[in-house]
Amino acid sequence: MIPKLCYFLKLLVFIILNNLILKLKLNIDGLLVYFPYDYIYPEQYSYMLELKRTLDAKGHGVLEMPSGTGKTISLLSLIVAYQKAYPLEVTKLVYCSRTVPEIEKVFNIIYIFITHCIINSYFKIAFQIHFSSVKYLSFLALRFGKEVDGKCHSLTASYIRAQHHSNPSQPVCQFYEEFDAVGRQVPIPPGIYNLDDLKDFGRRKGWCPYFLARYAILHANIVVYSYHYLLDPKIADLVSKELAKKSVVVFDEAHNIDNVCIDSMSVNITRRTLDRCQTNVETLQNTISRIKETDAAKLREEYSRLVEGLKEANVARETDMYLSNPVLPDEILQEAVPGSIRTAEHFVGFMKRFLEYLKARLRIHHVVQESAPQFLKDIYEKVCIDRKPLRFCAERLRSLLRTLEIADIADFSAITLISHFATLVSTYSKGFTIIIEPFEDRTPTIANPVLHFSCMDPSIAIKPVFGRFQSVIITSGTLSPLDIYPRILDFRPVTVASFTMTLARTCLCPLIVGRGNDQVAMTSKFETREDFAVIRNYGNLLLEMSAIVPDGIVAFFTSYIYMENIVASWYEQGILENIQRNKLIFIETQDAAETSMALEKYQEACENGRGAILLSVARGKVSEGIDFVHHYGRAVIMFGVPYVYTQSRILKARLEYLRDQFQIRENDFLTFDAMRHAAQCVGRAIRGKTDYGLMIFADKRYARADKRGKLPRWIQEHLTDGSLNLTIDETVQLGKHFLRQMAQPFRQEDQLGLSLLTLEQLQSEDMLQKIAQIAQQA
Amino acid sequence: MDEEPERAKRWEGGYERTWEVLKEDESGSLKASVEDILFQAKRKRYMSEGHGQVRLGMMRHLFVIIDSSRSMEDQDLRPNRLTSTLKLMEFFVEEYFDQNPISQIGIITTKNKRAEKLTDLAGNPKKHLAALKKAVDSTCVGEPSLYNSLNVAITGLVLTIYTLHMPAHTSKEILVIFSSLTTCDPANIYELIKTLNALKIRVSVIGLSAEVRVCTILTRETGGSYNVILDESHFKELLMLHVKPPPASSSSECSLIRMGFPQHVIASMSDQDAKPSFSMSHLDSTGEPGLTLGGYYCPQCRAKYTELPVECKVCGLTLVSAPHLARSFHHLFPLEAFQETPLEEYEGERFCEACQGELKDKSVFTCLACKKVFCVECDLFIHDTLHCCPGCMQTDRTS
Repeated sequence: MIPKLCYFLKLLVFIILNNLILKLKLNIDGLLVYFPYDYIYPEQYSYMLELKRTLDAKGHGVLEMPSGTGKTISLLSLIVAYQKAYPLEVTKLVYCSRTVPEIEKVFNIIYIFITHCIINSYFKIAFQIHFSSVKYLSFLALRFGKEVDGKCHSLTASYIRAQHHSNPSQPVCQFYEEFDAVGRQVPIPPGIYNLDDLKDFGRRKGWCPYFLARYAILHANIVVYSYHYLLDPKIADLVSKELAKKSVVVFDEAHNIDNVCIDSMSVNITRRTLDRCQTNVETLQNTISRIKETDAAKLREEYSRLVEGLKEANVARETDMYLSNPVLPDEILQEAVPGSIRTAEHFVGFMKRFLEYLKARLRIHHVVQESAPQFLKDIYEKVCIDRKPLRFCAERLRSLLRTLEIADIADFSAITLISHFATLVSTYSKGFTIIIEPFEDRTPTIANPVLHFSCMDPSIAIKPVFGRFQSVIITSGTLSPLDIYPRILDFRPVTVASFTMTLARTCLCPLIVGRGNDQVAMTSKFETREDFAVIRNYGNLLLEMSAIVPDGIVAFFTSYIYMENIVASWYEQGILENIQRNKLIFIETQDAAETSMALEKYQEACENGRGAILLSVARGKVSEGIDFVHHYGRAVIMFGVPYVYTQSRILKARLEYLRDQFQIRENDFLTFDAMRHAAQCVGRAIRGKTDYGLMIFADKRYARADKRGKLPRWIQEHLTDGSLNLTIDETVQLGKHFLRQMAQPFRQEDQLGLSLLTLEQLQSEDMLQKIAQIAQQA
Repeated sequence: MDEEPERAKRWEGGYERTWEVLKEDESGSLKASVEDILFQAKRKRYMSEGHGQVRLGMMRHLFVIIDSSRSMEDQDLRPNRLTSTLKLMEFFVEEYFDQNPISQIGIITTKNKRAEKLTDLAGNPKKHLAALKKAVDSTCVGEPSLYNSLNVAITGLVLTIYTLHMPAHTSKEILVIFSSLTTCDPANIYELIKTLNALKIRVSVIGLSAEVRVCTILTRETGGSYNVILDESHFKELLMLHVKPPPASSSSECSLIRMGFPQHVIASMSDQDAKPSFSMSHLDSTGEPGLTLGGYYCPQCRAKYTELPVECKVCGLTLVSAPHLARSFHHLFPLEAFQETPLEEYEGERFCEACQGELKDKSVFTCLACKKVFCVECDLFIHDTLHCCPGCMQTDRTS
């Protein structure tokens, strides 16, 4: 079976390090660690200590350290050293990051690490793989990932290859055949492979790099890829299920991990999905009747296999070979497929009935919210569909597709989705909710019914990961408050720690602006956000800042609608015109192409001295994953507190669930969620110790202890009483002073001994004491 | 009622936290720390200069670009940035000619997206000072244009140097006083930076508000310096750093230049033979031409000038006086920094060799050559103004 979403997998294979040359040889709690730079930040040392403790205890950890202080390199050097020292304890490092550029960055760091640390190259392999582009190697003409998958499947499926044996004119993929014949026996030569290297390697050998990568993952010492390969059950099953139990899994940039988990388990069904599903069912029916005439034996064979049950899968799970798949719960494995869907025709009939039922449900005119048992009861009453066959739906469909030898499976995504939904809804009675909305809230006149089957419990998706691997590390620049992640992900960490940034000069300047010059409170609170004075004050703030901040300013709003409203009234008031005298204005939109164009021009304007302002939205594309180093972001302004849209029914259901199951109050969770996004946004500007930037929180609510206390420690530390509840004028004065201070020459020597240590400095008693204070146990 | 300009009130401006830099000593007194700060500031300046014997670009051609955009009206310097800058510039021009007698300077202002040449490259301080005084009254509008003003400066530098057949080793410099945080350019400035680099023009920037990326690159690529002021005194300090000639690039070849040393002819009114005559420098000045008796006569063409240094209008010869040259001599052989020793460790007579006063400061300074000791004040005076050690002079004479 072909993965549907194998977009950005990068993996890195790395077999035991030998013969290291080093810049720094550290002794971390009795473990010899090789560090590829001449100097080390004190917090890195502290981070490694905590990490070592986590690995020693074979437990999970939650570690927060500001971005730009070298998290990745600390993680890598320590875990690799651990692997080397105790090869039987830790066999593999699985490093998951979120976006493609981040994965790219990690890979580069690994590259530096390896080239700096290794002189003798006989033991190293590194891979970086990008599945779909690897596949383009063989099918250059196809444009979409799905098509590539489908085409690939039609050439490499086992029955196609079997046919090829009897009928050589049947086309097969040369690359795959070649790999299958010899690839698995021949060890992959040591070395560092990035994506292109791997493609090259494949081309040279005539092996399919995609399958090569999937195979190599098992032998890799370090695997670097996207979250989805581990969390999304559909993909994890293919890519990651054979990963060794003694692996260390690291989730970097994990501040949004609960949302990733939830997304991977949720299903949205629209009328279009159902229509496409309808065609799928018809195709299935036609194929079945055709096969019945030509090859009835095959269907009979499948039938008997299903009677046998899914024993195979069960055996594999019991012997602990695989990562368990949350879509395929344990109970299913022990039972045979129920009789009502065992024959192909019956199953198709069953699917038809299910589909009709869903269609009927979508024809409503009011919002319905119900739990999974309610849904099951209703379906039983209306169309007599029992719970049990529903649970086998996903497995049954897979088996059918295999039997029918449908090569181009890309078209069957709709019915696969429905079958997943059927299985999930009948398996989990808790943690999920069904919401049927006949129209969007914003456009109540246009009928656009959607069925949200939404997961409310992120621990469901991540449970197998915590259960299987001996150490799982969750780390990011913004994880505060630290205690909430173990609660919502339902695991017990052995270490929970937050690290601060040691600085030779205070290069970040968080300011909370609460009032305008006219003393009117500035807030994006729902009741006052449309207030003329608030909007004008926000405009004045931006105008004043545009006059004193050089190069780039990034401003974040709480939502697209709010941004549009504000910008429109700024235009009417002539504020925009005034701002444009100082800087150009660029706006992020929901269109990705437009946004990347705006970003490019924004950077150009910063580069050549014109100066620019980027207006964007918290939770948007810009706020996650795009860094504004140095002059690209000298100031970040956060207009308002980025609360999530609280009227959404999905959110309400989730809040209720959190309250009932985890005893987390609605308000606590909303604030936590808003503050982590705010911290993410303002954190975009500081990407290292030589960088500097203003962080302006423009809402009086930030000054409250409950909001302020939820900011990461490294920001909180610099929030003095003098920088709370400022007016615009005071902000301008403080900002001016700060920017002048920061513009003074700053050299590396200034950092030495304070925030940058040599080995000798590190060993001094004094420093060790200081380092001990950096980590704060939560 | 008078309409006062907005935000003109002192109390509307920023807090000036002068107390923040102060630290109490153990007994709770502030005096020591204040003195320390002043002392450190004094020492710092000439300590930074001590780079021994290097070749210096003695013959300097410098264009100063003064930003006159809207942002110069900001009142964080008193009374506003423009007035303060122009005042400091006057001081700078005087110092500059004092220390670099055979150099030239020109002034360009930029506002409203345009660049305007205030004065051409010339070696006469009077003209520049007059222009600077006049500029105080000009209004500050629009955005500056870095590109346009650099372009004007380049043309000016290249024209002067090539039409007057200056030797290739003359140092070409541009100093930008940049107050705005934005620049409005008609073309890509990075192309211009390449040109500057090719022409070996050194560009330095003094920023009045914050660090701007394009200036960082501009100065880094052309080998200049980039500083941002903290306050007015820091501004002055940074400006003064540009008075001293920069090290010459080692690649430039040596060559000789022709110079004239005219003698000053003094004639009194009582002398019957003396005839009053016009000075040649009055040819292009709008000021009233004065008839004078004496003056400097060009040794080549006998044209008369009342002031030196100047470039002869008739034959193009550079006219200087010997003391002028002598004054810039000390840049080539700077007096070495004195050795600093704490007062407690010093054993000897406790009076300063120069002023004969009692040594009361924290540390004393010893000349490495003659082993005489000096107080802080005298140490600074010797290095800043005298440029030779009085102790050494004395021993020279006695031996």
